[in-house]
Amino acid sequence: PHSHPRHPGTRTMLPLLLLLLGSAHGLEKLQYSPTLANSSLGGLTTTSTFVLEQPRCVFTNVEGDIVIWLVVAVPEAVDNFNNSVGPGTPGRAFQRFPAGAPAYMTLNATRIHYPCTKAPGDITVLRVGSETSCARDEARPTCNGPLPSPGPYRVKFLALEGSEPVAETSWSAPIALRTAQQPSTIPTTGSRHSAGMIALTTILSILFAILLAGLVAMLVFRGSDGWGSSGSTFSKPEAVAVGRYNTHHVYDQPAARL
Amino acid sequence: MAKIDDGIHILQGLLVFGNVVIGMCGIALTAECIFFVSDPHGLYPLLEATENDDIYAAAWIGIFVGFALFALSILGIVGVIKSNRTLLLVYIILMLITYAFEMASCITAATQRDFLTPNLFLKQMLERYQKSETVNNNDKWMTEGVTKTWDKLMLQNQCCGVRGPSDWQEYMSAFRITHSDADFPWPRNCCVMDAQGSPVNLDGCKLGVPGYYNSNGCYDTISGPMNTHAWGVAWFGFAILCWTFCVLLGTMFYWSRIEY
Repeated sequence: PHSHPRHPGTRTMLPLLLLLLGSAHGLEKLQYSPTLANSSLGGLTTTSTFVLEQPRCVFTNVEGDIVIWLVVAVPEAVDNFNNSVGPGTPGRAFQRFPAGAPAYMTLNATRIHYPCTKAPGDITVLRVGSETSCARDEARPTCNGPLPSPGPYRVKFLALEGSEPVAETSWSAPIALRTAQQPSTIPTTGSRHSAGMIALTTILSILFAILLAGLVAMLVFRGSDGWGSSGSTFSKPEAVAVGRYNTHHVYDQPAARL
Repeated sequence: MAKIDDGIHILQGLLVFGNVVIGMCGIALTAECIFFVSDPHGLYPLLEATENDDIYAAAWIGIFVGFALFALSILGIVGVIKSNRTLLLVYIILMLITYAFEMASCITAATQRDFLTPNLFLKQMLERYQKSETVNNNDKWMTEGVTKTWDKLMLQNQCCGVRGPSDWQEYMSAFRITHSDADFPWPRNCCVMDAQGSPVNLDGCKLGVPGYYNSNGCYDTISGPMNTHAWGVAWFGFAILCWTFCVLLGTMFYWSRIEY
């Protein structure tokens, strides 16, 4: 019950109405657009989270006791966005996003969380979508839960004083998250045979064929004399018994029996 | 006559030398294949889950072929020195059988190496790592093997995924079903761990801050040992077979010149 009911027909309410319009025009528009953090981060965008750069030194000149909220919206809700709808209301509950609520507000912080000075080496980021414990807990409408779809989304920072919006940044460019493909789409066939394997198979097959041919030749030709002998001109002297028939010394010879 | 005798003696000497080399190479082949079969890098579960572990079959054949080569080389030496036709014929025939087996082993190792691509391991990792609902005992065994192997790989080699942590973002996986993307953009073992085994900076790891998570892929640590394995079996076997070819041709020629 933060909105003020307006009765345009009532004259006594007109100054009040002008006062309200005056304070509504008091919303400061800051020249800052939220951006994704340094791209060297491996988890800059995942399938349900993304990482923003902190709005350092942006709200330091805004006066008052402000609470800075991050607004995450679908791109269609940017044009008619109503800054007066407060965080934690059903219109801005994370659990109803995006069907029941076109935007949600989360990650509340104060000015001291975003100082101008930054220690070197510090990583000043905001991880949107890191709280999984409250993602389904309706009692925590400002939960920084994981985003339900790959998006795209647009964000801005809104500073509230109490329930009054006092300052806002401009909307960021659309931020799209990653989409995951099914592993069945990975092609595992089509691995080509390498040249080495083809060469190896060919050479071995040829060598084996030659060996088999050699074995066959060896076995077929083993009987022939040409291969069987040592092929040398050398031949061992053979002891040949030659019977001598000397007709003159017939007495010494044993008679040839017929 | 002296020249021919010398020629035969030279051939004998060469054949004995050739057989000695074959024997030693056989022992070396057996030792190398025993080393590969013992799986010092613990990658066998990944191969088992591809249901095509013929590289290991090739190594097993290599063990027995190596031993056979050693035994046959001794037979060959004895046969050549004694110039015994029967022994040498037995030697030649058994050697040809061993040759055929070793040929099969080499070709299998070389062919299977071409089959093991990064995409194959990526798909297997996405479908099996930390899979919670297994269909049967075989599926459960393979899933456990893949999960344990990947956990060990990522922890010991400081790597993540096959090509990098983005593998877990680009594709749906069995891991993603049980672990939400916001809490686990990639598995815990992709984080840089301290001595106690817990992440040094969990938020830094989830954000992907260089230095708090492993940004390189594990494919090199998988393919390195597998390449060594496959090429060791295939090309060393090829070299042995080329040498054996020469010795066998020489032995056939020698056999045909022995007189009865």
